[in-house]
Amino acid sequence: MWAILSGIEGNLQAYHAVIDDILRQKVSVEEIYILGDIIGISEENEALVKEICHPNHSIPLRVCRGWWEEQCLILHSLHSTADPVELIDQFGVDVTKKLWDCVSRDTVEWLRGLDFGFVEFDCLLIHGSTVNVSEVLTPDTSPWIILDRINRVNVNYLFCGRSSQMFDYELQSGLIESSIVTLDNKSISEVKEVSKKRLIGVGNIGKTVNIASYTLYNPYNNQLKFRQINY
Amino acid sequence: MKIAVMSCIHANLPAFEAVLKDIDENQCDSIYSLGDLVGYGPHPNEIVNKIRELQIPSVQGCWDEDIVEGLNSCECSYPSLLAEKRGIIAHEWTNQQITAENRQFLAKLPHTIKLENLCFAHSSPNSNHEYILPEMDAFTALERVLSADADVLFCGHTHIPYDRTLNAGMLQIRVNQSNIESESERQFQTPIKRIINVGSVGEPRHGRPNATYVIYNTETEEIILREVGYDYQSTCRDIIEKGLPPIFAWRLAKGLEFAEKAEDATHVCQR
Repeated sequence: MWAILSGIEGNLQAYHAVIDDILRQKVSVEEIYILGDIIGISEENEALVKEICHPNHSIPLRVCRGWWEEQCLILHSLHSTADPVELIDQFGVDVTKKLWDCVSRDTVEWLRGLDFGFVEFDCLLIHGSTVNVSEVLTPDTSPWIILDRINRVNVNYLFCGRSSQMFDYELQSGLIESSIVTLDNKSISEVKEVSKKRLIGVGNIGKTVNIASYTLYNPYNNQLKFRQINY
Repeated sequence: MKIAVMSCIHANLPAFEAVLKDIDENQCDSIYSLGDLVGYGPHPNEIVNKIRELQIPSVQGCWDEDIVEGLNSCECSYPSLLAEKRGIIAHEWTNQQITAENRQFLAKLPHTIKLENLCFAHSSPNSNHEYILPEMDAFTALERVLSADADVLFCGHTHIPYDRTLNAGMLQIRVNQSNIESESERQFQTPIKRIINVGSVGEPRHGRPNATYVIYNTETEEIILREVGYDYQSTCRDIIEKGLPPIFAWRLAKGLEFAEKAEDATHVCQR
């Protein structure tokens, strides 16, 4: 069983509540994935990162980059994007200054080494989408876009956290006819079908006051369980 | 209305002039260019001057972008190291030749142009570097047209023309949201969408040296893939005389580029 978390945003109390819940599961959790947004505008960022790097449990923990981590790297000129335009547009200059102040240089270095995402079995675990960390995939996203984002890495399951929502979105079937005419009047026709694909929104740990949500997934039988914890 | 759409002129003046003559003979009402006005060929300023003089609306191609911003994409834009080396030589030569005024013109070209339900892009609405090849997965191809909010997407970049119709697209989905008790099921359908690759005027890769472009009738939705012969030997001579890699002349004479077979054609450089 995997526990898949996202959006802690420096909320240490919420993180503790979720880890406690994970440790209480009847079926033991073999791996914890954190799909980014570990940090946020929080005084507890440093303590949280310390706990993630040195957990007081034995479950392997794998962390990838989220939107807040990317904004932090942009802010420190450690990203190909020159200016934190997206951050300033969404949260303003004051929040930008706070982000600078609440993440240490050592932590920035650690953030720099985080992966963009993970492919395990036929699953992709990522913060935003296969396009970038900022893209928000929800049940309201065009299904054509969802299929495209899943097909880009040739997996059957895409787990993401950017929307903060918990959902199980299944592309059950699909069909399209394609015909091509070339300069030499050669005509090629095909009917393409879609095999089942799933997009899973894993919830968020730290955004909602007193409520943390995360996802349990068993890659051996594809069983999915959404967890909501009041703390 | 008859629209002529061309791409990838690549600084080849004789090819461009032959295509303009063919467009005139076919009584087209307007002309659109899908970029790559420069690069590879020996006449960059002549082409940009002519485009400006005739006021042909054009999008920015990947070569136009590189001349403006410098080579800012990594080697993954090229299918091989050899192709990259030659590309850099052509880029540096063009960079030296282009006038400040023409560089400014290239800088202002838009990424896409919309005309009602038609979208004109160099390679893809997403990027100036993506290859929308005919073998691209049909759903992926459909997503590119949908992302352009168009019914017909005109593109170039691959230098090989084709007309692709995507019909009866259907997806069946089921959603289970944690905050909503019941599951919901929905079916999505798309009307007919088309991708028209207009080939290349100045550096064809369909196996013959002739220039290619398309004529689209907006009333009948008929597409004609045009192939126009011209004096390609004169361009080949100019390529060699101006010190560009001779292999560009060979490629032009054959209408082939064996190297342009990227392993992952949809890969887009993020640098």
